[in-house]
Formats: sequence, C-alpha cells, structure tokens
Amino acid sequence: MLPMNYAILKLFADGKTYDADKVMVELKPKYANFRAFKKPSIVESLMAAEKNGLLEQASFDLDDLDELHVYYRATDYGKDMINQYIR
Amino acid sequence: MNDTPSPQAVAAMRRLTSSFFKKGLLMALASGIIYGLFSVFVSQGMAVGPWADWYGDNTSMLSVFVLIYVLGLLGSGLNDLISAIWMTGNATVKGKFMDFLRCFKSKPGLVMIVCALIGGPIANGAYIVALSTAGPMAAPITALCPAIGAIIGRVAFKQELNARMVIGILICLIAAVVVGSAGITDVDASPNFLLGMIIALVAAFGWGIEGAVAGYGTTLIDYEISVSIRQTASGIITLFVVVPVLCVIAGNIGLWGSLVGQVVSSPMSMTFFIAAGLCAGFSFALWYKGNSMTGAALGMACNGTYSFFVPLFSWLILGLILGKDGFALAPIQWLAAVVMVIGIFLIAVNPLDFFKKKQELEA
Repeated sequence: MLPMNYAILKLFADGKTYDADKVMVELKPKYANFRAFKKPSIVESLMAAEKNGLLEQASFDLDDLDELHVYYRATDYGKDMINQYIR
Repeated sequence: MNDTPSPQAVAAMRRLTSSFFKKGLLMALASGIIYGLFSVFVSQGMAVGPWADWYGDNTSMLSVFVLIYVLGLLGSGLNDLISAIWMTGNATVKGKFMDFLRCFKSKPGLVMIVCALIGGPIANGAYIVALSTAGPMAAPITALCPAIGAIIGRVAFKQELNARMVIGILICLIAAVVVGSAGITDVDASPNFLLGMIIALVAAFGWGIEGAVAGYGTTLIDYEISVSIRQTASGIITLFVVVPVLCVIAGNIGLWGSLVGQVVSSPMSMTFFIAAGLCAGFSFALWYKGNSMTGAALGMACNGTYSFFVPLFSWLILGLILGKDGFALAPIQWLAAVVMVIGIFLIAVNPLDFFKKKQELEA
C-alpha cells in the first residue's frame, strides 16, 4: 500500500485530469479511514504539486452549489518524476 | 462544465490561490520565528547541568577537542533525537505513523534521509568547526543558505527566480550579515580564518541543499512525515555514529556513555532540550512546507529571518526574563530586520503590480 500522498500523485500518472473530489472518489476504497483523508489537505497537496511543476491546471469552474472545482493533469516532467520516485 | 470559467469562478480561483500563497508565506515566516526560540532553548540546555562544568571549571578535564567537537555534536544529536520523538508522536496522533514507515523505505524517503545527513551532521559539524577556526564571523556567512537554496531550486527544480527576486534575496542576505556580525569586534586574522570561512560555506551549502531538496520532497511526502524522517535519521546518525567516532578519535570510547549519561540525568538540561526539540521539529516542518508552497526562494528568505529572531529571543528570554547581560539588540540590528522585511516583500510581490492595479481601478 502506498502512502496517501504518493497515491494522490500516482493517480495522475495515467494522464487523466482530476480535481480533489475525483481524487477522493478514487482513493476512498483504500484511504477513507485515514485521518488525513480530508478535502482541504488534498486540495493543498494538489496545489503544492502544481507550484512545484508536477501538475498543471487543466480547467476550473463553479458547480451548482457555487463550490470551486480545479482540475489538474500531470506535466511531462511530473509524469517522469512520479513514475521514477513512486513505485 | 464550460471550457471558459465564469467571472465568479475566476474570482473564487483568485481567492483560493491567494489564501494558499498567504498560508505558505506565514508557515515559512513562523519557521524562522520558532527557530529563534529553538536556538535560545538549545543554547540554554547546553549551559546548565553538566554543561556548566564542562564549559566552565572543566573539573572532568575534557580536552579542547572534546569540548569543541564532541560536545557540539552531542548537543546537536540529542536535540534532533528528542525532536524526532516529538515529531513522530505528532504524526502518530494524526494517524500518519504507518505512512511514516512506508515513506521511510521509499525512494523519496531515502532522498529525505540524505537531506537529513547533509543538513544535520555534515552542515552542523561544519558550522561548529567553522566557529572554532574562524571565530564568530563564521556565523553571518551561513546567512548565504537562502541564496544557495534559491539557486538550487531554480537549477534543479525549474522554480521561478527572476531579477526582482535576486535583488530581494541580496537585500535579505546583506541584512542577515549585518544582524549576525553586529557586535563582533575581534576578527581573527590567523591563517585558519580563511579555512574557517570556507568551512562555514560548507554549512551554508548544506542547509541550502536541505531547504531546496527537502522543500521539493515535501511535494511528494507529507510535511509532518518528512520532518519525522529528517529528525530520526539525523538524530540517530549524529548521536549513535558521529559522536562515538569522535570519542574514538579523542582516544576514549567510554566517554560517549559517560557524557550522554550525565546529560540525560540532568533534569534542568533535559527540560531545555525537550523544549528545543519541540521547537526544532515544528520549525523544520514549517520550513519544508512553506518552501513547497511558495518555492525555495521565498520560503528560504522567510525562514532566514531566524538570523533576526535568534538575537531577538535571546534578548527577550535570556536578557529580560533570565536577567543575563550582553543580549540587548543594537539599533543596527533592528534596522536590518526592517530591511529584511523589504527584501522578503520584494521576493514575494512585484511592486509594479500595485501601480498596475491602481491604474486599473482609476481607469
């Protein structure tokens, strides 16, 4: 089993786009019982990964409840780093 | 969802980005402030109990080598190990202990361990050697570490570093050197002075590498786990490998058990070490997290404010509370702190943006 932060980034190695909610849906079966499995900490992880060039923004918009959804995808550099360091 | 975000979405995105940036900035600044507290507690821990005799009357007849190198690294290793207990405990309470073990065995975990060795025994050891060979002028040289970290962040991790940020870093560097060198009058002009300054550069490089690499590594590893790995690796290797080797060099391996035994059985010294370990842990955790959220250039400049907060807390705690003489801050040090804030502001924000916004509002 991967550490939670690794699992978040590893999702992006498939080239698809995810926002924090989609990340939570994907990881819920394995990580739902983790105390750190909360949306704000996942949003922060994604933003830090963007700041450091692993991810880039694909799109963002508000949903019907006026909640912001930011979608990210891995950069080429990010894919290399993720595949090299997270196995 | 549409491809073009609505104006409300753009505004919400701006708020999210701004709050993330401010949080990173505050974390990096808090790391510098807490480092100031750590420094006071660790220096006090190494001034009471058995340390008072070792550095005072020296009734145990310890050699100069033991007094400088063995005791210096003993204090550093003990602090890191106590800090590791605090930080691993914190990670455990937050349900991250199993992730701590998983990360320890992973490739990014190994990188974090190498960072711990570079920033721990290597840089700390170099700093102690530099102080003993070049005197107090070695201390302000280590203020170069934020500049080194920013360059490494740019070269290795493609982080932003433009001319405005370079000017800001240089302003912070000058201010840190002014704070660190205020009051130093007896500069040693011996042949060892240059060697000591070069060794001080090794310490600056060590901390610069650690800040940039570990800050980047915190993108992969949770920051509370990162710091637990850092302190555990540094504490164990310094206390159980480096210090015993130095005892062997000093000609007495039995010295290790004797020195450690005396320190851990001194409630007064251990009280300060326990406080120092807690502060060191949170300072490093916030340093790594702040660097990952703002980039190495800004994060390390904010953390570099410790060069002001160390003398400030020394004055407040050792001078005002404990009534010791010689800790008052010179006016030039207060002025340098203001200059440092200007430098950080310049790294963080383009002043021209304010004028642009003003023009946009007036238009």
